[in-house]
Amino acid sequence: MAEGTKTIEMEILRYRPEQDKKPFYQTYAVAFDNDWSVLQGLQYIKDELDSSLSFRWSCRMAICGSCGMMINNVPRLGCRTFLRNYYPNKLRVGGLEHFPIERDLVVVVDDFINKLENIKPYLIPKQPLKLEQGEFLQTPEQLEKYRQFSTCINCMLCYAACPQYGLDSKFTGPGILALMHRYNSDSRDDGRDERLKLGHSEQGFWGCTAVAYCSEVCPKSVDPANAINQNKMGSAVDYFLRFISPRGTAK
Amino acid sequence: MSAPMDKRHPYTRSMAGWWKRDPYFIRYLAMEATSVLVAVYALILLIGLFRLSQGELAYNGWLGALKSPLSIGLHVLILLVFIYHTWSWFKVMPKTLPALYLGGEKVRQSVITWAGVVLALVLNLLVLFILAGVKP
Amino acid sequence: MKVYKADVAIVGAGGTGLRAAIAVAETDPSLKVALVSKVYPMRSHTVAAEGGAAGVVRDDDSHEYHFNDTVEGGDWLCDQDVVEYFVAHCTENLVQLEHWGCPWSRKPDGHINVRAFGGMKVERTWFAADTSGFHMLHTLFQTSIKYPSIKRFDEYFCVDIVIEDGRCQGLVAIQVATGKFTFIQAKAVIFGTGGAGRVFRENTNGGIVTGDGMAMAYRHGAPLRDMEFMQYHPTCMPGTGLLFTEACRGEGGLLLNKDGYRFLQDYGLGPAEEKPRNKFMELGPRDRLSQAIWHEEKKGRTISTPHGEVVHLDLRHLGKKKLLERLPLIYEMAEEYMGIDPAHECIPVRPGIHYTMGGIYANLMTETPLAGLYAAGECASNGIHGANRLGSNSLVDIIVFGKLAGVEAAQFAKSVKNTNPALLEKQASAAEDRALALVTRTDGKEKHSVLRREMGKSMENGCGIYRTAPEMQAACEKITELRERYKNLNVEDKSSVWNSDWLGALEVGFLLDVAEAIAYSALNRKESRGAHQRLDGYEHRDDVDYLKHTLAYYTGDGAPHIEYQDVIITKSRPGTRAYGAAGVVADEQRMKEADNG
Repeated sequence: MAEGTKTIEMEILRYRPEQDKKPFYQTYAVAFDNDWSVLQGLQYIKDELDSSLSFRWSCRMAICGSCGMMINNVPRLGCRTFLRNYYPNKLRVGGLEHFPIERDLVVVVDDFINKLENIKPYLIPKQPLKLEQGEFLQTPEQLEKYRQFSTCINCMLCYAACPQYGLDSKFTGPGILALMHRYNSDSRDDGRDERLKLGHSEQGFWGCTAVAYCSEVCPKSVDPANAINQNKMGSAVDYFLRFISPRGTAK
Repeated sequence: MSAPMDKRHPYTRSMAGWWKRDPYFIRYLAMEATSVLVAVYALILLIGLFRLSQGELAYNGWLGALKSPLSIGLHVLILLVFIYHTWSWFKVMPKTLPALYLGGEKVRQSVITWAGVVLALVLNLLVLFILAGVKP
Repeated sequence: MKVYKADVAIVGAGGTGLRAAIAVAETDPSLKVALVSKVYPMRSHTVAAEGGAAGVVRDDDSHEYHFNDTVEGGDWLCDQDVVEYFVAHCTENLVQLEHWGCPWSRKPDGHINVRAFGGMKVERTWFAADTSGFHMLHTLFQTSIKYPSIKRFDEYFCVDIVIEDGRCQGLVAIQVATGKFTFIQAKAVIFGTGGAGRVFRENTNGGIVTGDGMAMAYRHGAPLRDMEFMQYHPTCMPGTGLLFTEACRGEGGLLLNKDGYRFLQDYGLGPAEEKPRNKFMELGPRDRLSQAIWHEEKKGRTISTPHGEVVHLDLRHLGKKKLLERLPLIYEMAEEYMGIDPAHECIPVRPGIHYTMGGIYANLMTETPLAGLYAAGECASNGIHGANRLGSNSLVDIIVFGKLAGVEAAQFAKSVKNTNPALLEKQASAAEDRALALVTRTDGKEKHSVLRREMGKSMENGCGIYRTAPEMQAACEKITELRERYKNLNVEDKSSVWNSDWLGALEVGFLLDVAEAIAYSALNRKESRGAHQRLDGYEHRDDVDYLKHTLAYYTGDGAPHIEYQDVIITKSRPGTRAYGAAGVVADEQRMKEADNG
């Protein structure tokens, strides 16, 4: 640590279910270098001050999606938020909102995982190819139609930002609906109808009221609000077309 | 640690007062609230239409009521709220559209918003211009 | 403790583990697969790989070229039979990933696009923007959801395997959320547990890359092979060590010293042309580039920063548009973490530990010497990377051999039955007791974070880009000391629910065992080859005494027992490892010899 290093106060929301009835804030004085992230501040606390502090992290470069947390009440990635931007004020760190707290900054994300598994998040090709036939052709323009929505790192910041999800966790939520849209928009895929059974429901696109905070906080500019809301037009058209030309059940 | 029951006890935080947590949520609720005044204004116009159907006297009565200080005050408020409503509506509009491309380049969402606002402004000015030219 | 009976258990849900799980499921859907990972699958470090995955597609390319590039890149320490299998199966596995939805970047006609990469003669690196590992991992994870026979154990920390009747018959894992143990009984176990870069202080790796599988197999008698070969990636972010992909150079990026000079031409990689030819200059192999930067530092031609000496990665001439299209992650990293706009400024970079070429010895069929235990991916040493790995060979390694491990483990599982469960559970209980002892004791004095830091610093000094006997010896002694101090560890957090203090302590235990294998393997290799370079009288490659793999065997408290194993040579006799203009000459020479011989 260089001489004349600054110190910042970090208030961390602690919760140890075996001893705490409810979460409480604990303050630590963290000596930091100018280029330190919040994550590095947390690692300092764990290594030097309090080894009992638990939090998820891994890659340190905003690609693994582990370190989502509330920083001054805003959902952010700990590894890509920098202490220098808060200094000399203190900052508050807590687990992602709208998820139950398991322990300290670790939240229970089973709901997200279950939802991810439920939308058929895999390619359902029109006509499967054999390996010898080589790749499906897909032009750069076709790739561009869904590429943005495929960059979601599953960090769940959007779930912490979404009040609809917070108020009713039956709502599938921004990230997973964006993933659904990713597959529906992939030129190689033919599973739209199967996925839209969920998509066109109250738990799907129609649970969204266009708060659009999800897109604000998304560290990868996936724009889940766009993924969801551009489907509402199609959803409505689909609904009315049904009266004109009744569709059978999906193949 | 060798106890039979597992010691998990996930803590669910309350959603009470959620909208106060973040300025973004407050702005969102304000945006949603503007719809109330849109509905109020629609009601005023509907009443006017109804009065028109009741004859010249009733219609003039309605027009007169509109000139009261209270009514003027309300209409100023409605105008201000409408401007915010228009802006916030067009801000959300690009979210409802698939990506647009112009000359191979993706059109930025802010451009779509501004285009909508400018169009709304132009149309409003046009209507004002036409109405100003209509002889009573 | 809870017992779960599976047919095949897989530890690690990164590219290797997921691919293996799918392979088992496709080989026989009636086999029960337990996929165990200490993190959710999408957090596995495959996610951070950037540049791409190699597979021959162009008409002017061939398996033979890919084979030669790989063997030469590995400084002839590769097992050539495995490399032959490898290069012949890369493309089909990459096509399989495409069929599963992987968003590979395309040419205008819709076919897969490939780019140049270090040490490769012809463009053959498939890529998905500059987040290829991310896209491969998410494709594999999302595809794995299709198979009902795969049961995932997310956030289960594997602490040990169970060996009985001379066979691996399961594993013991802690459910992180509860602190409770589960014994997963299985007829075959696959390790896809990744590398051990966190042994070193400055590295590109995520916090989870702690050599868990390597240490577990090692402790049960499987040798760790070629551990001295740790790859330094030349272009890492100073301080954090975060990776700036080789693709930066594949797209035309240049490396400059403090005088703005493309210094690589002074190290046998030239001549310097405006756009580097494959295997020339910035498109040379990683070990050569890292070594060149080391030399520049010694000559005082690097730039000093608070985070150490750096050189400049110049991407300015690519222009903002191309940067955002081909290298968006790099752009974002430079801007967010360093406040640098790569379209207008050079990015300061320095070498950092990136990849573990060595690992658990596994043969071509991914079998380790422990029957029933298979290993693939970075945790394994199957001989394809040799003394230095070429960029974009790892992302394809994990799917080629992840698949093979799944197929092989499935066949094995169908051919055996588990022994007496009581015996197995007894072993599992013993593993539980050992892991619990670490956290329940109250009289320890040492902190694992301190041991970890001392290990990182010592290994950086002793097993750096260039090594000397005294420095390596010092590292060996330091690691021995740290392993002794580890026995006196105190884990302060005694709780059960999500006790990451305890898990961190377990990881430091794994790291120290692997570090010891690395340090002693390095000390004993008295030559320079690939990523193991010495300055103490052993500056040259010695194909007479050291055309061999190093095998490190665990001896408990003592230093590892070191043995040597012949390298398998089939088609390519060790030649001059040359790049740049010298490489062209060496290539021509080799072709002449092949024609004559």
